[in-house]
Amino acid sequence: MLDADVEVDRRDFRVQAALSVGPGERVALFGPSGAGKTTVLEAIAGLVPLRSGRVLLGDRVLSRAGVEVPPWQRRVGLLRQDPGLFPHLSVRANLLYARSARSGEVSGVAEALGIAGLLAAMPARLSGGQRHRVALGRLLLAHCDALLLDEPFASLDLSLRRSLTALVRTISTGRSLPSVLVTHQLADAQAFADRLLVIDRGAVLQTGTPSEVVLRPASRRVAELVGYLGFVPVPSGAGAEEGTVAGVHPERVIAGDWSSRGLVVTGAVIASRPSGAGWEADLRSGDAEFTCRLTEPPESGTLSVTVLDPPYFGADGTALDRDRNRA
Amino acid sequence: MSWAASPAAASGGAVRDDAGDSGRPGRPPAWRDGGRARSAVRTVQGIVSVGGAGIVWIALLGPVITLLVRMSPGDIWSALTGAGNLDPLLTSLESAGVTLLVLIVFCTPLSWMLARGKLPFTRVWEAGILCTLLLPPLVIGLLLVFMVGPYSWIGTVLSWMNQSATNTFLALVIAEVYESAPYYVLGAQSAFASVDTRLEEQAGLLGDRPFRVFRRVTLPLAAPGLAMSLAIAWARAIGAFGAVVIIAYHPYGIPMQIYVTLQETGLYTALPYALILLVIALPLPLAAYIWSARAGRRRRG
Repeated sequence: MLDADVEVDRRDFRVQAALSVGPGERVALFGPSGAGKTTVLEAIAGLVPLRSGRVLLGDRVLSRAGVEVPPWQRRVGLLRQDPGLFPHLSVRANLLYARSARSGEVSGVAEALGIAGLLAAMPARLSGGQRHRVALGRLLLAHCDALLLDEPFASLDLSLRRSLTALVRTISTGRSLPSVLVTHQLADAQAFADRLLVIDRGAVLQTGTPSEVVLRPASRRVAELVGYLGFVPVPSGAGAEEGTVAGVHPERVIAGDWSSRGLVVTGAVIASRPSGAGWEADLRSGDAEFTCRLTEPPESGTLSVTVLDPPYFGADGTALDRDRNRA
Repeated sequence: MSWAASPAAASGGAVRDDAGDSGRPGRPPAWRDGGRARSAVRTVQGIVSVGGAGIVWIALLGPVITLLVRMSPGDIWSALTGAGNLDPLLTSLESAGVTLLVLIVFCTPLSWMLARGKLPFTRVWEAGILCTLLLPPLVIGLLLVFMVGPYSWIGTVLSWMNQSATNTFLALVIAEVYESAPYYVLGAQSAFASVDTRLEEQAGLLGDRPFRVFRRVTLPLAAPGLAMSLAIAWARAIGAFGAVVIIAYHPYGIPMQIYVTLQETGLYTALPYALILLVIALPLPLAAYIWSARAGRRRRG
């Protein structure tokens, strides 16, 4: 069990986050670049000093007022975008770097990670994916008690990212390791985590399952971060308060008038372009503009679309109870 | 193992996703088989650039070539076998050896602290080192007389211990330290700065205390650069003359011997000592160069 409630001063703002990750549980810290996500991980790893708060791992106190366990005694594994292999050591020596690593385990771990044939190679000869596998193996052999992942696979291509994410999921579950992933890619967070913490400018804006956060953003800011690209005003005659807007996620829009399934919006098509296997169209309805993805190319002129079960936000940007605001 | 991934997630994924990346381990890149060197002289532009580089190289080596051409084996033999002729050689080796020890012990930690920004106002510290680098050796010698000479307070303290920092072995070492230290400090600083601190951080998270991190990661990674800085410092120390001639006229090291011989008996008799200086000064830098090149090759796999 990893239990962290940290407060760290940065030059521009203060980062405050509380998270509790059970054995084998996976949590993702999701937010834009520079939101303070990495700072939270570094605070857990003991690489930045806490202003206040605590970090507990299992029955060990890592940080608390007056207690600051140094990084080398924390047994916390950190995997960054740069896998950080020691260039002067072979793959085998890298795997066995930690003093707690036992040479008898090397072949088993290497086999499971698909790097058994590379033990004699030097890191410079490995591909990006292979380096991450070795770095992961090194953490496993070090017998760390928690996995901290700082956008580790961000520079890899999609299929490699998926297979490595699946591998880390398997490891985290199999070893009952609490794992925390930091990412600014929602899809990566969703693929990895049981629970999502949305962070912006050092503050946790929402905590929930990935689908909760995407479908029920707690505020307009969270909605923007998870990909809502437009906010259309809801007519006050429909029972909504003045200034209420509905969030439009491009992927949660269908063409046509399906009022039983959500909010119907009619708008002028400003632009359209092919996107993936379908089409993407920019619509303007009143003052609001939004983007939606469609299966068929939209015709020019006006278009009616249904925004499926949208989240509603009041004038102050907080989410509203949707039943009360449903038209 | 209990957590071993399903074949699709682990080994299957590995075969699929890693195969196309940067080549197989163990296969040297094509340019290392000499193909590039051969192709360099196939074009006119290639011939001109190789020829130009050759001229510069030979010009730089001119003094060494002249030395070898001017010397006869008999000259070298008589220079080496004359009574007491090897004493300056021994003095030079001993004083440069002690100088290197002093640099390693006192300047390595300073270089590390400069590289890691462990000192407040790092730029001020660096400017100080640069000042000593910019002072001409002759000026260093003059200033050392005022600093450690018999009428300075350091000289007074030394005299209480029956020591002196003028015209002694100690004076020679002091002069060599001052002439070589800035080269070592700046070189070692850049060697330490080239080590990625993320690697040190990773080593710490894997359970190593700071000193073990230094020994297992920082030092091996900085070693080629440190060796080169040490080699340069060695060459500076063994060839030190400007400060030496002021503060340590005696005992003669090789550079002093060359100067004195030149003054007393002329050009030709001084040349063999120049050859000796070259021969004894060269092996350490050469070894350092070869060793750091090999370390680099090993790292590239």
